[in-house]
Amino acid sequence: MALTSDMVQLLDAGVAHQVAGCTNAGRPVVCRGLAAQLEADGRLVVIISSLSGFEVLDAVRETGRVAINVTLPENFKSISLLGSDAIVSAGGAEFRELVTNRHAAFQAQLSRYGFPPEYTGAWYAATDEQLMAIRFTPTSARNQTPGPGAGNSLELK
Amino acid sequence: MNAVFEDGLSLFAVRRMMEGVVPPSLATASADHVPNVGYLSLAEYVDPLHVALSYQFFNRSRENVLATKRASLTLDDPYTGAGVVLQLEYERTETEGPVFERLRAKLMGVASHVGMDNVFHLRGADIYRVLEMRRVPGRKELPAAQPRVDLPTNSRLLSERMANCEDLASLLDTLLCGLGELLRIDYAMLWLFDSSQAALTLLASRGYDIDGAGAEISVGEGIVGTAVREGVPIRVGHMMNMATYARAARERAGTLGLTPALKAGIALPGLKEPRSQLAVPLRARGRVLGALLVESKHDQYFGYDDEDALMMLCGQFAVAMSLMQPTEPEPAVTPAVSAQPPQSGAPLRLRRFSRDNSIFLDDEYLIRGVAGAILWKLVGEFTRCGRREFSNRELRLAPELRLPDVQDNLEVRLLLLQRRLAEQNAAIQLEKCGRGRMRLNVVRPIVLESEPR
Repeated sequence: MALTSDMVQLLDAGVAHQVAGCTNAGRPVVCRGLAAQLEADGRLVVIISSLSGFEVLDAVRETGRVAINVTLPENFKSISLLGSDAIVSAGGAEFRELVTNRHAAFQAQLSRYGFPPEYTGAWYAATDEQLMAIRFTPTSARNQTPGPGAGNSLELK
Repeated sequence: MNAVFEDGLSLFAVRRMMEGVVPPSLATASADHVPNVGYLSLAEYVDPLHVALSYQFFNRSRENVLATKRASLTLDDPYTGAGVVLQLEYERTETEGPVFERLRAKLMGVASHVGMDNVFHLRGADIYRVLEMRRVPGRKELPAAQPRVDLPTNSRLLSERMANCEDLASLLDTLLCGLGELLRIDYAMLWLFDSSQAALTLLASRGYDIDGAGAEISVGEGIVGTAVREGVPIRVGHMMNMATYARAARERAGTLGLTPALKAGIALPGLKEPRSQLAVPLRARGRVLGALLVESKHDQYFGYDDEDALMMLCGQFAVAMSLMQPTEPEPAVTPAVSAQPPQSGAPLRLRRFSRDNSIFLDDEYLIRGVAGAILWKLVGEFTRCGRREFSNRELRLAPELRLPDVQDNLEVRLLLLQRRLAEQNAAIQLEKCGRGRMRLNVVRPIVLESEPR
């Protein structure tokens, strides 16, 4: 299964990312993501910092399960995507351009709420060496926009 | 109770991250360890080991929490970009009470701010025990914003000034002026709770076009009424959607969750477009005596630190107010007729409606309740035998006044009456003439009329 075109567009629109996992002991863990994009093979790659996301990386390595939420601040459009075949690898400089672009789009979103550019800079401070990639095949998607329909499943291609 | 977590963090120290500026995220997992993550509207500090999270929808997160009791929460500082991650254990859901009301008031403001008033409805306050908390590493944090004022130091200064006050009038003026001068809180109202009338009476205000002393409102569900009912501070930080907020005085009462108790009431003061409000109860001897309402034209003007400062100052005010009875025996009442200034002009018709002791001067509403009964007694004595001076003690003992037994508050009622008469520039004025004594000044002939209803 793969993302719909609407979902792919949303990833590029300046969303906030939250990435979660769960250890085999049942401990839920979460961190902010820096970027996400659809890969040519239909998998989703999510970039997180090895510093802020160490717990999530460990849980994903342990179980292969991952959940990501992306939310667009301007209209609260929010979806979550789940996978169970997640693999962690070093991202590195290869993803710097993606992270920079996603950061700029997210910064533009938050500026309308009065946040200065430096604010999102605090969250995007990872070095190339700290960029880690989580790749997974989305197996289910849910609408998480507040209001009627929140929690409903969304169809994947 | 161990309230210090990893990195020396305490929940108290990260309360600012729960202001609702950056929404928190909540990660959960199903019983078979499938993770889920989404945003919450709000988190609220409960105590050093507990937080409350807004429960608005029955969604996957909630299903997971009910199944496993576990969750992980992230909070972000809205100024520095710093973040913390908490491990939580679900304990219970509250659907009423102080925590629920604080969360509901905060949610009301946030919902209005983001234009989702119709979507955001609080079903409950989920109470979680904090098992772990740690700082998010790797962030390039910004310097913290400069505080508006040095709250602890300036609150202490104001507290010291209040401690030097010898009577209620100076205590009240010191508090309201000090809020502006020392804490940069330019708009404030002080409401008194009258349990016998189930109403709040405005004792004084500061910063508004009208003073509104004596204005009365019923206790309702909104910010002031809720603060009084629950005995906790209630704060709203965003009021962007002004369409939901009234502009006229009576609509203003609705804004506060209050409805005017009288058709012929006194106009209420208030900002036309408040962006932040904080209502703090006046608590003493286990009772709520009223509430201080402060307002600002700026979003998020009041934070947890303001709550702390105002709770302390309002507590001091409430205790002082309830203790401000004469400590020495008052001088014996001299029922002698004192010299009365000459009266002139058309007679003033003073009407009392005995059902609620509401008083009208000619056709203008003045006041009601105990303050109304006091004025009726004083003027009655004056017209019968020319007495102008009275002691507080005789009023306190007068059976016809039926002063509330527990919280006497006679001085408060006298002050309110005195200010209301002065504000109306009435032909009857009341002034202090010594410890526990007051004098009536009447410059027009009086005609008394008592009506049963």
